Amino acid sequence: MRGFWVPAAVLMAVASLFAAAPQAPAPTQGELARLTLQNDLLQKQMTLAKAKEFYLLLDTQSQTLTLMFHAALLQQYHVDGLEVGVPRVVFRTRSDASGWEGRIWEKGALDPARALDRVEMQAPPPTKEGTEIEVQVPQTPEEKYPVPARYHIRFDGGLSLEVRPPGTDAKHGFWSKLAAGVSTWWADAKAASGRTSEDAVRLHVVMSKKDAESLYRALPPDTKLLVLPPRS
Amino acid sequence: MMDDAVSTPHRGFSVVVRPPRPRIRFGLIFLLVLAVAGVIAAKGTGYEYGPAPRVSSLPAPELPKDAGTARKLQSKLATQNQKLEAALNKLSPTGTYVVVDQTQNRLYIMNDDKIVRTAVCSAGSGMILKAAGSSKKWVFDTPRGVFKVRNKISNPIWKKPDWAFVEEGKTIPTNPEDRFESGTLGKYALYLEDGYMIHGTLYTRLLGRSVTHGCIRLGPEDLQAVWDAVPIGSSVFIF
Repeated sequence: MRGFWVPAAVLMAVASLFAAAPQAPAPTQGELARLTLQNDLLQKQMTLAKAKEFYLLLDTQSQTLTLMFHAALLQQYHVDGLEVGVPRVVFRTRSDASGWEGRIWEKGALDPARALDRVEMQAPPPTKEGTEIEVQVPQTPEEKYPVPARYHIRFDGGLSLEVRPPGTDAKHGFWSKLAAGVSTWWADAKAASGRTSEDAVRLHVVMSKKDAESLYRALPPDTKLLVLPPRS
Repeated sequence: MMDDAVSTPHRGFSVVVRPPRPRIRFGLIFLLVLAVAGVIAAKGTGYEYGPAPRVSSLPAPELPKDAGTARKLQSKLATQNQKLEAALNKLSPTGTYVVVDQTQNRLYIMNDDKIVRTAVCSAGSGMILKAAGSSKKWVFDTPRGVFKVRNKISNPIWKKPDWAFVEEGKTIPTNPEDRFESGTLGKYALYLEDGYMIHGTLYTRLLGRSVTHGCIRLGPEDLQAVWDAVPIGSSVFIF
C-alpha cells in the first residue's frame, strides 16, 4: 500500500507545481502585429526565392537595394535616401501614397530601356582554308549603355523606382538646361494626369553615381520587387 | 483722336507711342492672367515628393482580443517565422559561389554574401551569326540564371562546335578529331551546363567587353583564383 502512496504524492506535488506556475503574459497587439507582418514578408520572400525571376529587395530599414535570385545575393546597392512621390494635377493629389510596401511588384522594366543593339554577321562561304576574320573591338559597357540623367524601373500595377544618378546631367548652357527641364516636367505632367495607373506611386531612390549607373547597366529584364517596411 | 498719344521728337520726325485701347488692354491683361494661371497650374502638376515613412504604413491586421487566443497565435506565428527563416537560409547558397554580371563584364567570387574577389571578364556578344547558303543561325548570348559547376579541367582541349567553323568560313569537318583544338581555352575550364564554360583567353586585351560566344572568359590570374576557390558543385549565378 505504501508503494502506491509515495509515487502518487510525488506526482501530485509535481502537478501542483505546474498548476501554480504563472501563465505567460498575453502578447501585446503591437507584438502580434509585428509577428504577423514578419510572417507575411517572409512568405513573400519565399515566393520570390522559389520563382525563376530575378528580384529586388528594397529594405527601408537597412537602406539597401539588393538584386537577388533564388535567395542568393547578386548585387547590393546602398540607398542614401528614399522619397515617395504621388501624382498631382493642379495641386490636387490623385492617389494616396500607401500600399506599396510589403507587396510583390512584377515585370520591372527600365525606362528608357537598355536596348541591346544586336549585330548580324553573315558568314563567308565555306572553304577548306577558311577566311581571315578581322577582329573588331566592341564598345565597353560604359560606351554601349550611357546612363540617362533620370531613369525609372516601372512595375506592373503602378509602382516605379526613380533613380537620378548624381552628376549625370551633361547638359550645359541655359537653353539646354531649360529644354531638359521642360521635357522632364512634360513627362511628369503627362504621367501624373494620364488615365492609366502607370506611376501611381514613385519611389525616388537616392544612390551614389556608381551604384545608380551600375543598377541601370545590370538590371535583368522582368525583375520583381518587394519593399520591406521598417520593422519597428 | 490724339488725346492718349505721346509724341516723342526724334531727329526731325516724331515717334508716336499710343497706349493700347481699353479693349486691347483688357485682352493683354487677360492673357497675362491666363499665362500666370498656366504657370501656377503647371507648377502644381507632376509629382509631389515627400520623405518615406519611418514606420510601416501597412494597415494593422485584425488580431484576437482575448488573451488565450492571442497567446496561441503568438506561439504559432513565432514557430512559423522560425521555419520560414530556416527555409530561406536553406535556399540561399552557403560557402563559395560565383556571380557574373554579364552586361558589365564582371565576375565576383562570393563567400556567404561577401565579395571575395572581383574580376574583369568577357561575356556573350549578343551577335547573330548567319551561315552562308542556309537558314541556320546562332545567337551568342550568355544565358541568365543559376548553373552548377559540373566539372573542372586543367589544360582543356576545345571541341569546336559548328559555329566556330562557320564563323571562320571553314567547311564543317566530318571527322570529329578535326574539331579538337588546344590552348584556346587557357589553362583551366570550369564546365557549366549546356556547353557553357568559364575559361581563359588568348585575347586578354578584350576583357571587360562583350565578345564571347556565350562562355565567360577570364584573364590568367583571375582564372587561377576561380580554379582555386570554386569547387565542383558550386553555384554560378549569371545576370
